[in-house]
Amino acid sequence: MSFKDVIDEEEREAYMLCNEAIVRAALEADVQLVSFYPGAPQTEILDNFERASNKYDLRIEVAANEKVALETVAGGAMLGKRSLTSMKSVGTNVASDALYTLAYTGLDGGCLCLIADDPHAHSSQSEQDGRWFGLTAYLPMLEPSTPREAMEMVKKGFELSEEFGTLVLIRTTTRVNHQSGIVPLGPMDRTPFEKVSWKDMKRPYTSVGELARKGKKEMLERMEKIREKMADSSLNRMEYFDGKKLMDEGGSEEEVGVITAGVAHSYTVEALSRLELSAKILKLGVINPMPEELIRKFCEGLDKVVVVEELSPYIEDVVRRLVEDVDVYGKRTGHLSEALEYDIPSVIQGLSEITGVEAPFDYKEHCRKMKKYAEILPQRLPVFCAGCPHRATFWALRRAVGDPDKVFFANDIGCYSMMCLPPIQWSDTLLCMGASMGVAAGVQYAAEEKTIAVIGDSTLFHAGLPGVVNLVHNEDDVTIFVLDNAVTAMTGQQSHPGNPKKAGGREGKKVEIRPVLEGIGVEKIYDISSYEVKDNVDIIKEALAHQGVSAVISHGECALYHFRNYRHAGGELVPYFIDLNKCESVHACVLNFMCPAISVMPEEDGKARIHQDICVGCGVCSKLCPKGAIKSTATMYGGDDKPVLTVEDHEEYQEKKEAEK
Amino acid sequence: MKGTNIILCGIGGEGLVMLSNVIGEACRLAGKNVISGEMHGLAQRSGSVIVHMRIGEEVLSPLIPPGEADMIVALEAMEALRYLYYLKPGGVVLTNKRLVHPPGETHDLVTKKIDKYVEYDEVVEAIKEAGVELQEVNALSLAKKAGEVRAQNVVMVGALCSALEGVIPRDSIIQAVKGTVPEKAVENNVEAFELGVDAYRD
Repeated sequence: MSFKDVIDEEEREAYMLCNEAIVRAALEADVQLVSFYPGAPQTEILDNFERASNKYDLRIEVAANEKVALETVAGGAMLGKRSLTSMKSVGTNVASDALYTLAYTGLDGGCLCLIADDPHAHSSQSEQDGRWFGLTAYLPMLEPSTPREAMEMVKKGFELSEEFGTLVLIRTTTRVNHQSGIVPLGPMDRTPFEKVSWKDMKRPYTSVGELARKGKKEMLERMEKIREKMADSSLNRMEYFDGKKLMDEGGSEEEVGVITAGVAHSYTVEALSRLELSAKILKLGVINPMPEELIRKFCEGLDKVVVVEELSPYIEDVVRRLVEDVDVYGKRTGHLSEALEYDIPSVIQGLSEITGVEAPFDYKEHCRKMKKYAEILPQRLPVFCAGCPHRATFWALRRAVGDPDKVFFANDIGCYSMMCLPPIQWSDTLLCMGASMGVAAGVQYAAEEKTIAVIGDSTLFHAGLPGVVNLVHNEDDVTIFVLDNAVTAMTGQQSHPGNPKKAGGREGKKVEIRPVLEGIGVEKIYDISSYEVKDNVDIIKEALAHQGVSAVISHGECALYHFRNYRHAGGELVPYFIDLNKCESVHACVLNFMCPAISVMPEEDGKARIHQDICVGCGVCSKLCPKGAIKSTATMYGGDDKPVLTVEDHEEYQEKKEAEK
Repeated sequence: MKGTNIILCGIGGEGLVMLSNVIGEACRLAGKNVISGEMHGLAQRSGSVIVHMRIGEEVLSPLIPPGEADMIVALEAMEALRYLYYLKPGGVVLTNKRLVHPPGETHDLVTKKIDKYVEYDEVVEAIKEAGVELQEVNALSLAKKAGEVRAQNVVMVGALCSALEGVIPRDSIIQAVKGTVPEKAVENNVEAFELGVDAYRD
């Protein structure tokens, strides 16, 4: 249930998030080197490893991006160290250049790469299906359904990796990563991290031309051996559901067969239960190489086989290739969808249509009826937090631009992506990490309007810098906005190369953004302080007027990160309030600002109010008010009318407060 | 698939995941099987958050199907109504007596796209109209009374404990609360829990 369990040395059961369980299993398996770039739904793996690194002797990095992370753990595995990385679905695209070649070279140490897909695109730009990486890269891939299975697969994955000298992939989905359950805690037999001699382990990890052709042959032979070894793996299992209960075996040929994997297995069994339908089930845990003989054996004599898997018909098409004289149902027959994640009702609907067994409950009608009651509700979309520096930067940018139609606005991946959501809805593109730079290069050739490209600090280091180099080299005409909030905010404020702290909170070397941009040759660079909204408007106008590549670096720490550190250092929040004698309900503090701390009182006077329990005291709204009606609560106690943002500010305020008394 | 299905919902930053951890840990302590699925994707502060909790030997899926939750526990009333479709007919809604207007609603009001805010009474009326049992708890005032304003979620754990009598033993829940909250806040949180227990009974 918490980090305490992840490092508890007692052998017992624990209630754990799957991502915590994965960390626990890797620690039990004596993992020595880990590296990650954060990204939902796998970020908690990094977070828990960061904390564990303060207790256990292991090497950990928050990498600049997923490719660097994979290369880093591969480097460790070349020296025989058990190593692990994990990445979100689309992060694998970045890492894939290294991934495909590592399959050719093989790796001598145990090395795992976890790929966390996000069906439904809950927090991703696409519903990418990561299973194809295993197949097309010739790498073994395991897929768990539950936290308990994930633990087993992490341990078996290391063994498999070492036995065959290959990188092993584990594929999860959001509903597995963010699932909690009861798991067993095993013994924590860890060894100290020690350097070894490269001379003793030396072999070439090189792949090009003739070497690549040789590597390909070896890789194919390796996969054949793995196929033989995994053919009767206990990670694939046959089950029987008798209409009421799940059991290890049973069933006859008259029954329907279901082949499934991942979280879809749980939906399948529960769907069968509600339909009171008996079925033979083949639950796959090894999804590359696929257990072809097992699938043939399972289908033998059956008339109908249904394949239940989320996203693409990855398993279904293999089944179709392998079996004859069996009717295969699934996506290709239109009974199950290739889009969105599944749940129990969607699987019930598919199974019901295939078998003719009527669903006991009309879920769609029920939802339609019940959602009618909720029609009075406003949407609750994610918004910038109280005190968020992005809100301030965008307010100034909008003011400097005037009409949003006067510019092309290339957005990027981060908290600031939320600019594309209603009611503000200001973004022309949002593709992938770092894309704003590349897109802007093309747009500035073709568009009459000025092109602006927004990118966060973490995203700049991740995939933005090659785009900046490209803009400068080609003498393009683009204004870049770097939102420097010190952390990778969206995923939970992890550190990145631009933060003075590295993984686990240890001191690192901060990579400054300005000298990086100067070194690349950006002609005009303006540093602004995010909260200074009024002053920033003119500076931004100047940057936009520049012909060529200009950059505005907006500095302001993520409010969640900043005020958490501030409070840990003994600071207290000093919120703002609205002086109702001065407020004339012009609502400048609401329009295009959307602070969760501000609402209005239509039933009383129509004036705005600041919620004292939400306001962090950034003071930006007070700068927007044309009537001077927003003030710091410090003024009530003898303090100055200015934001209290640092421990020094707070000490000064406390002194004035004491003097006033 | 018999078991107890509970939807926990609210707004990011309210301590909903902590609430679910307490229930999950209490189940473990009591030797009960439990599964949960949480979803807070893009929800930073102020976004909508939902956790599915399932207690029972036979449950497998981390998601409760619509119409099958025995209870909805909401830290904010609008979210109770938003996820009402998960509740089984005649199920129980246990909500905090609290309404938080999303900034988008304020924006719509000021730009005159709507003429008023949704009110707490309207939300509660809509829940009642749906034919479910409603229990309201003023968690903020009870949390203040317990001396820990941030313990609204623990007040709701207490109320849920009363509602779940016979499913999870109270001792297990208290032990889980103690093991989850920071050491210095244990006393106030246990007090908040007890006030929640009584609030549901009353």
